[in-house]
Amino acid sequence: MTVDERFYLDLAEQCVRRAVAAGAEWCDVQAGTARDITVVIEKSGIKSADAGRGEEVAIRAYVGGGMGYAAVTGRDRATIDRAVDRAVALAKEATPDPDFRRLPDPQPRPEVDGLFDDAVAGLRVEEVVGMAVANIEAARAGEPDVNLSGAVSLAVGHAALASSTGVALASRATDISASMAALLRRDGDTGYFYEFDFGRNLADCSLEDVSVGAVEGARRFLGARRIGSGRRTLVLGPLAAYGFLGRLLASANAESIQRGRGFLCGKEGHAIANACLTLVDDGLVPRGLKSGAHDGEGTARRPLTVIQEGRLASLLHNAYTAGKAGTESTGHGTHGGGIGPTNLRPALGTRLAADLLAEVDDGIYLESGEIRPDPASGDISASIDFGFLIQHGERVHPVESAMLGGNIFDLLERLDAVSSDAREEPGILMPTLRIHDVQIAGSE
Amino acid sequence: MTHMDDLATHLCDVAKRRGVDFADVRVVRRDGESVLVQDGRADKLAASADRGVGVRVLVGRAWGFASADSLQRDRAEQCVDDAIALAKASEALVTDPARMAAITPVEAEDRSDPEILPGAMPIKEKIDRLLEYERAGRGAATNGGQIVNSIVSYAEGEHKETLANTAGTLVRSAGCRAVVTTLFVASDGKVLQRGTEHRGIVGGAELLRQTEPDAFSVRAARKALAALDAKPAPAGRFTVIFHPSITGLLVHEALGHNAEADAVWAGESILEGRLGDTIASAAVSVYDDSTLPGQFGSFAYDAEGTPGRRRPIIEEGRLVAFLHSLETAAKFETDPTGSARAESYDCRPIVRMSNTFLEPAGTDTGVPLAEMFRTVDRGIYLEDGHWGYVFVQKGQFICHAGQAHMIEHGDIGEPLRDVSISSLTLDTLQNIDAVGDDFEMEMPGMCGKDGQSAPTDCGGPHVRVQDVVVGGQHTL
Repeated sequence: MTVDERFYLDLAEQCVRRAVAAGAEWCDVQAGTARDITVVIEKSGIKSADAGRGEEVAIRAYVGGGMGYAAVTGRDRATIDRAVDRAVALAKEATPDPDFRRLPDPQPRPEVDGLFDDAVAGLRVEEVVGMAVANIEAARAGEPDVNLSGAVSLAVGHAALASSTGVALASRATDISASMAALLRRDGDTGYFYEFDFGRNLADCSLEDVSVGAVEGARRFLGARRIGSGRRTLVLGPLAAYGFLGRLLASANAESIQRGRGFLCGKEGHAIANACLTLVDDGLVPRGLKSGAHDGEGTARRPLTVIQEGRLASLLHNAYTAGKAGTESTGHGTHGGGIGPTNLRPALGTRLAADLLAEVDDGIYLESGEIRPDPASGDISASIDFGFLIQHGERVHPVESAMLGGNIFDLLERLDAVSSDAREEPGILMPTLRIHDVQIAGSE
Repeated sequence: MTHMDDLATHLCDVAKRRGVDFADVRVVRRDGESVLVQDGRADKLAASADRGVGVRVLVGRAWGFASADSLQRDRAEQCVDDAIALAKASEALVTDPARMAAITPVEAEDRSDPEILPGAMPIKEKIDRLLEYERAGRGAATNGGQIVNSIVSYAEGEHKETLANTAGTLVRSAGCRAVVTTLFVASDGKVLQRGTEHRGIVGGAELLRQTEPDAFSVRAARKALAALDAKPAPAGRFTVIFHPSITGLLVHEALGHNAEADAVWAGESILEGRLGDTIASAAVSVYDDSTLPGQFGSFAYDAEGTPGRRRPIIEEGRLVAFLHSLETAAKFETDPTGSARAESYDCRPIVRMSNTFLEPAGTDTGVPLAEMFRTVDRGIYLEDGHWGYVFVQKGQFICHAGQAHMIEHGDIGEPLRDVSISSLTLDTLQNIDAVGDDFEMEMPGMCGKDGQSAPTDCGGPHVRVQDVVVGGQHTL
């Protein structure tokens, strides 16, 4: 345990003791510090360099199952003590909740390698600026008149979690990322796209040439044309598929289902998708961006198959929803009382993405775009932000002013293939998906 | 002078001694409280306290910015040194040198106390009011559907800030914003639908006294219940009539972000080089105004100490101005418009909107809603604006409506489920062929840009737009 980890764990434990003395029946406290550096690129030049550092203590207290929560920044002890007292006072004002059972007990902690990298933590701002400059130069080498924007960022954090049940955990983490957007203007035509790379370890990233992918994407999106409306096959490239499946995974939130407000209500144990879809959430992947030994409540992470061959096999639980359902927490609790997924790991199919696309006679290839189902009905009405018309197995041209519509269950039923190849980022797998017979709205 | 004033001016003095060309310092204290009522219980009560300092320096050609969550002098002074080091680390590589408009130093105090000061209304009273909203909404079930989940939440945030800069500006501001939001989910046993409402003001818990259940939670519950009988919208290109909430989304997302001068200067906005051009139909005039009393996006001074104002963007179809910070004003050789905003001490000021709206037509030229409908043979009436986003680089936007109706032969037709529209900004502004003389601006929300959020509002009259792409589920 580092000096910082020890300091914040001591602080968290002291806050727990104070909360219990003030009348909290259950309490957990998260305390930690983080610092960050961001170098911003604008108009293919360095715009600014920013840095920040901060500390936060967050206290969650329960009385009669009612929850009070207080968060405070800085390390002023009197301010922190007032926040502890406030959390307990608020818990006493909250309505008692018989569905609350208990906070997690201490558990064996799984080992997850590669969450902290000294190389990232030791980077000087000049080196981060150097990465940004390398991106600018790489972009200009491909397209001298490209308008590049973006940022290179890193964050280093130390955190601790202590609870009235005896949980005492400390951890540290790093992450680093480069995100670049390239804009090309040619005689009234616009090509625009973005690319990114990220990781917890410097060795897992290639941060100096992210702009090359952005420029290639911007070139691809020159020459967009309008299309007509009709039903077409929809191919979701890795980025679009990640967004779509990520929303689906987040919808397996047990609280929204227990409360009766999510479109997956009543679906547990039932088929909700074509059998080609198996979706695993795994917070233990070494070096994964969303990995960690435990969740925000101290429950050990574990891999969880949420969708098994099209069947909704499991929900994402925190301690509260698990207690209410009489089951075990799956390790997806956040300290604020919410539920969140970790690393998305779809099971891969048997055929390459290129082969899946080659079979499409008339379709849309969505390279990136937000497919956001209504949380209650599951209805989808989304813009095709970065898409191509597919004809006879080939991407013909980018499309503009087009949308797609349907219901998530229709799309999941018509999902007919998951590719065998996938874009892989630390912890995350992003295959290509193919969905047949989707309503496309065009403007032609 | 308060401790915050002392600290801010001291840090400016330190920065000057270090030889910077310009520096500004924001010292911020924020306190918040929130109550969440769900399914008949006060589920989660929360509080937050945040203090810190942000220092921005201009060294030669480059900006540096550093922040810390402390008001202690030694940690704050470290921010000055960090910001200078950051600027120097990038100065030689800056290709578009930073510049600042000439600053007329101002010493001012903007104190807008809410009618009910933070903490003056007991939390029990807030809980009781939210429970009253919830009960009223749940009582609205009339058409065979039932409410299966209800959430009512209230949040208030108090904000005190001192801004000082090396030109001699010292602006103290203090205020409060309050938001109340509700969500009802209805079920008929087969499908779930939801209805939402939200209200937000520059003010405090008086919002709970001003907001009546019938116009708030009952309305949200009825939306959810009505949606159970609604059909999916059709897909394709339609004539669409926008409710003022959708008009607000259009001018905020499609136009407003493109009119932020930092995006224009960066060559990203589709409005680059278009100043003075006619870019919309002649009936269209759009303004951004941070001086509207009590409106959610209002403020007296921006994050650089420039007074807020009413800012024209489009007048009678012509693009007349952009929204400016001190830096973009210098680069465009124009006046700052008081449009620099920062979410908190740990964020650099960037160009933002405030309250953005399409001006209603006069009573002599405005087209009444019934007249807008009359000439539409088949179209869609979009209501209940929810959210939107834009790619300024392509001028492509999306707006999402929580409710809609078909328009058939000039009359309102069957109800439709929530649906999105998407089009190109410049096409859409040109395709507005009718502007009403009504007006509504009730879209308080948090607008996101560059990782920062800012309180904004938007609105306008009803408008009719030709050739809008509707993302429906079937073709007619």
